Amino acid sequence: MRVAIAEDSVLLREGVAQLLTDADIEVTARCGTADELLTRVGIDPPDAVIVDIRLPPTHTDEGMRAALTIRRQYPDVGVLVLSQYVEVGLAMQLLADSAEGVGYLLKDRVSEVKEFVAALHRVANGGSALDPTIVSTMLKRHRSSDPLDSLTPREREVLELMATGASNAGIAESMVITQRAAEKYVSTIFTKLGIPATGSESRRVLAVLLFLRA
Amino acid sequence: MAAVLPLSQERHRAAPKPALLWILGFAAVASCAVTVGLASVNEELYQPALRVLLVSWITLPFIFGGIVAWRRRPDSAFGPLMILAGFATQLSILQWSDQPFLNTIGQLCDLLVAALWLHVFLAYPSGRLAGRPEQVVVIIGYVAAVGLQVVILLLGGFNDRHLLTVVSKQTAAEAVQNVQLLTLTALALIGVVLLWRRWWSLPRWQRRRPAQIVINCFSLSLVMLAALLIAGAFQLPGFEIIRLATFAVAGLAPIAFLAGLLDARLAKGGVGQLMVQLRADPAPDLRELLAQALRDPTLSLIYWLPQYGSWADQDGNSATLPEPNSGRRVTLVRQNGEQIAALVYDATLGEEPELVEAVSAAAGIALENGRLEAELRARLQELHGSRTRVVEAQQNERRRLERDLHDGAQQRLVALALELGLLAEQANADPATQTRLKRARGEIAESLSELRDLARGLHPAVVSGHGLAVALESLVAAAPLEVELKADELPRLPEQFEVAAYYVVSESLTNAAKHAQASRVSVEVRVADDTLIVEIVDDGIGGADSERGTGLRGLADRVEALNGRLRIWSAPGSGTRVRAEIPCG
Repeated sequence: MRVAIAEDSVLLREGVAQLLTDADIEVTARCGTADELLTRVGIDPPDAVIVDIRLPPTHTDEGMRAALTIRRQYPDVGVLVLSQYVEVGLAMQLLADSAEGVGYLLKDRVSEVKEFVAALHRVANGGSALDPTIVSTMLKRHRSSDPLDSLTPREREVLELMATGASNAGIAESMVITQRAAEKYVSTIFTKLGIPATGSESRRVLAVLLFLRA
Repeated sequence: MAAVLPLSQERHRAAPKPALLWILGFAAVASCAVTVGLASVNEELYQPALRVLLVSWITLPFIFGGIVAWRRRPDSAFGPLMILAGFATQLSILQWSDQPFLNTIGQLCDLLVAALWLHVFLAYPSGRLAGRPEQVVVIIGYVAAVGLQVVILLLGGFNDRHLLTVVSKQTAAEAVQNVQLLTLTALALIGVVLLWRRWWSLPRWQRRRPAQIVINCFSLSLVMLAALLIAGAFQLPGFEIIRLATFAVAGLAPIAFLAGLLDARLAKGGVGQLMVQLRADPAPDLRELLAQALRDPTLSLIYWLPQYGSWADQDGNSATLPEPNSGRRVTLVRQNGEQIAALVYDATLGEEPELVEAVSAAAGIALENGRLEAELRARLQELHGSRTRVVEAQQNERRRLERDLHDGAQQRLVALALELGLLAEQANADPATQTRLKRARGEIAESLSELRDLARGLHPAVVSGHGLAVALESLVAAAPLEVELKADELPRLPEQFEVAAYYVVSESLTNAAKHAQASRVSVEVRVADDTLIVEIVDDGIGGADSERGTGLRGLADRVEALNGRLRIWSAPGSGTRVRAEIPCG
């Protein structure tokens, strides 16, 4: 796999590059700014980019805009956005019409090396990776006559994993259950929440998010 | 009641001594008696009684008009000029005498009268010749009237009774005289044009009736003078009649002028009206009333604010006194020896200092009130400005701290966590080390989480970075109660407005969840008529108080610092409604 990085902190940029190299991932570009990233992606499109949301010069939304640009112009390039804080509003913006090949994680997640590399692989292969805090934040909202109340604790757990972009196999592994049991949970949840069952994993990420937001 | 002592700021030229004016008055009357005497001994005069009457008819109004003008407007040279013109007329009468010296003086002054009339009329009303053309006309007038007269007399013109005849060349003398008379005729007619040109150049409000009558009289006098001079030059038959008519008309000019002065005095009736209006209306538009009383719509009223050491208008905005020679004049109003206000008005009104002072005296108490009000407004403005600066400074400082945390501690901790993660991958064997590494990473994750909360509390970076709409979506998503958000098509606004709106929503949602026991909240944010409107309504227990809760007070400060308004309706039992309106156009 080939990946480009845009991160203005040298310490972190080199750390992530090291992490990727150790995981046999080729780092095609190490960029300090969004413009540099866009240029390098244009010259040599990687399988995925890792981009910090705050980049020079203003450290406001340069990274976010670069991410959206890459999603529009290079649909085959996976985009994994990293940030010190995750915002539901930004997640919605990033996933505006599709959760395919997109990820949005807290920066802290890089220290969970295995999980991080797995998320990156998912994004590069057209899947999704949403930070668990986004889903848990949205689940905390109390709603009157909420269909979520009808979920069992195990089902809620599955829902959270599903919303982060995990595959059925991934869910099974996390919860230490069989893949068949995981599939059963997923279909029960969809029925209880009244969400039409959708095919791909990234589609169901978006479906769950939209359900939670409504 | 405090004594009001309005004093004009400008130093006036001292008024002429009364004794001098009395002497001038007696001299005028005496000179008329002399005229009667001269007329009685001169046998060549046409209609001597009528001539004496008409000479007095001119002389006395000019001299007495001049005396009144000089006393009332010591600054203006107009009064002395009129007095001069009056006495010059009397001196010219000395040509009726057979006594050679007196006769010579009379002959010399014969046409000086014409030049002086021209001077007086063109110098109206300030006593100064306003422009270059006026100055040229008057100078040529004097040269023609006196200079050429001397030449004529040296050539033995007019008669043999005067002392100046050097050679007797009547033809030459007559030729020079014709040049002289025609020149003065032309100057008189040019004078009429100049008078009217200046009249029409005045602003409309200054072209008042009394002044117009004066200008009309002056013009008529100059036209008659021109006719008289032409008649003299061509020795037309009606010369004597024209002379009588000219004198009759010329006497009207100073009378019209006196009437104008009287009108200014009558304008003091406006002072009484002003006082009535001030009594009727406790909070008047003082500037408007003073402008009416002084009949100068351009008048402006400014107040002296000693605390600030500066002038300010009625709204407390700082103001300055006009520059000298700017066409504006200033009268300071003093109370107990301290200046409290200044009237700034058109310089031509400066010809009526007594009126200005009477008006400012009448408005004394109201002016003092106006000054206090202006001071209050200035203080409010200052207070508002300082609050705005405090809020701005606070926000800048918080933004800087958030940025420092983000770029510093947070990045370093993430890098450290990553380093530990990589180490854990490599140190595959030792389970004890793995455990300790894991615990260390857990500690770092905890610190990062705390830092994140701290940074977020300092400054909502998502607002500056991604706009209010995105930030509100996150806020609503994280709110522990059901929120209906309406923020469609919200445009990006300058940061301070977005941050203020964000805090209003954030604080209100916190209050709704924590204190109001609300279960449902609606949040609406929109921009209408260049105003950012933020409204949060909950279904809680109500009873919120912006004066007690520091959170709400802080919000109000933040909103008011942006010239906005925060209102809270929170009757017990009927929910809470918070509405912020911030002008953002």
